Amino acid sequence: MRYLRLLALFVRTELQFELAYRVNFLAELLSLVIIVVTSVAAVLILFAYTQTMNGWSFPAMLVLLGVFYIVQGVGELAFTPSFQQFMEQVRLGTLDFVLLKPASSQFLVSLRYFKLSNVAQVALGVIVTALGLARLGDELTLIALGEFAVALFCGLVLVYVLLLSLSTLAFWFVRVENLLAVYEAFLDAGRFPVDIYPGWLRLTMSTVIPIGIAITVPAQAVAGRLEALGLDLMVLVTIAAWAFARWFWRVGLRSYTGASA
Amino acid sequence: MIGAYRALFVAGFQNASQYRVQLFLYVFFSVLRPIIFLAAWVAVAQARGGSVGTFGVADFAAYYIALTIVLHLALAWDAYEFEFLVRQGRLSPLLLRPLHPIHYAVVNNIVWKLFTIAALVPVLALTAITFGARFEGEPWHYALFVPSLVLGAAIRFLFGWIVATAAFWITRVSSVSTFFDRIQFIFSGQIAPLALLPGALQVIAYAMPFAYMFGVPVDILRGATTFEQTLLLLAGQVFWVAVCYLALQVAWSRGLRQYSGVGA
Repeated sequence: MRYLRLLALFVRTELQFELAYRVNFLAELLSLVIIVVTSVAAVLILFAYTQTMNGWSFPAMLVLLGVFYIVQGVGELAFTPSFQQFMEQVRLGTLDFVLLKPASSQFLVSLRYFKLSNVAQVALGVIVTALGLARLGDELTLIALGEFAVALFCGLVLVYVLLLSLSTLAFWFVRVENLLAVYEAFLDAGRFPVDIYPGWLRLTMSTVIPIGIAITVPAQAVAGRLEALGLDLMVLVTIAAWAFARWFWRVGLRSYTGASA
Repeated sequence: MIGAYRALFVAGFQNASQYRVQLFLYVFFSVLRPIIFLAAWVAVAQARGGSVGTFGVADFAAYYIALTIVLHLALAWDAYEFEFLVRQGRLSPLLLRPLHPIHYAVVNNIVWKLFTIAALVPVLALTAITFGARFEGEPWHYALFVPSLVLGAAIRFLFGWIVATAAFWITRVSSVSTFFDRIQFIFSGQIAPLALLPGALQVIAYAMPFAYMFGVPVDILRGATTFEQTLLLLAGQVFWVAVCYLALQVAWSRGLRQYSGVGA
């Protein structure tokens, strides 16, 4: 409860900050609309030549693209702005002040800064997903929708865990902003189903950098393409990954010494 | 002028050699991005029994490898840096120097390209072998590819600067750049080879400068054009270089009158 109140406070201050630059805020919203529209156009061009792509129908691809923008949007809305600040704080030594505050350090580090224009990206993702779901129509069952929700939630947790773990490396290596760039490169590959990629890329995106499964599995759930055990496995992996990231964070925190010390 | 350029090149190389991790990441990005769309088109081709139009899997591979090379050599990102210079008021000292700021940008671009191409080539060769890329150009294709690439790079470079001068009026130019990047994304042959754009889009692509930036050199490198087509496309590139050059002259001189240093 206390954490929810803190979260609301952080969002409010960030909103005030963004609204100081109103024209820029609007321009960013406009850019996001352009990006999403052109991505849908790209999928339309591909599907002008085929009914299915590696077994994926057009509505299923729309759902996948929608999920891609939801995941990317949530990441850019909540996770990456905070983690970028965190890396900077480790480098400058100002993390000391964060650690002294009477709240969970992991919480303060992960959800302190927001880039609120990305709410629009999430919303656009939801719209594209809804368009895809509507086109799936009769094939859609309530169970599939439930599985979709669970898989999407797990996917978001996996992305959070990945970013937290990458950021934790800052305790030892200090300059790790480049690792976030690696995350972005792989994230970009998430716009298509992970099963179309060559082996090495598919493997990387399903294990070390689980962006592939984070985006593909929810879409598989509504497209009726979920493999047996696929979702159960994803839930288990998510729980394990969460536990690992928390443990890793605490180990990292213990080895933090402050920049000037 | 030659002396100035030599000094700038030496400084540029010294500067670039500090950033080895960036070099690695840049190569990684450059290769990963085309593979995304290559994989998508291979999946489409397989769904249709092996080919889309005149493109088989080997042609798609050749197309996207050629595109990676062309993008690498012809892409410029000055708009982003220029906005930064204007917004921070750092343009003012540059304007006082005896050289036009565009010369610094030319040198920085060329240095970075020479610096990274060495790392890019082996990775691309590996990709070409994996996908069995098919290049079927005659010797004259390769000979004409060189001017075509230079012209494409010139169009992209001049166009980027035209967009960047918008910063004189509106200071934050990044959303304008995003807009043109996405238009370019569709019409320069990045999401699909130009030959595969559906009817009207293909006409639009060849009527705008975007096709001549990347799509045209790629098709020549692949050996997918006849000799007459190649000459026609080169003429189109020359036309767009001239148009962009004149437009930049006008935009730059108008913009400079408009400019007042931020924070000054």
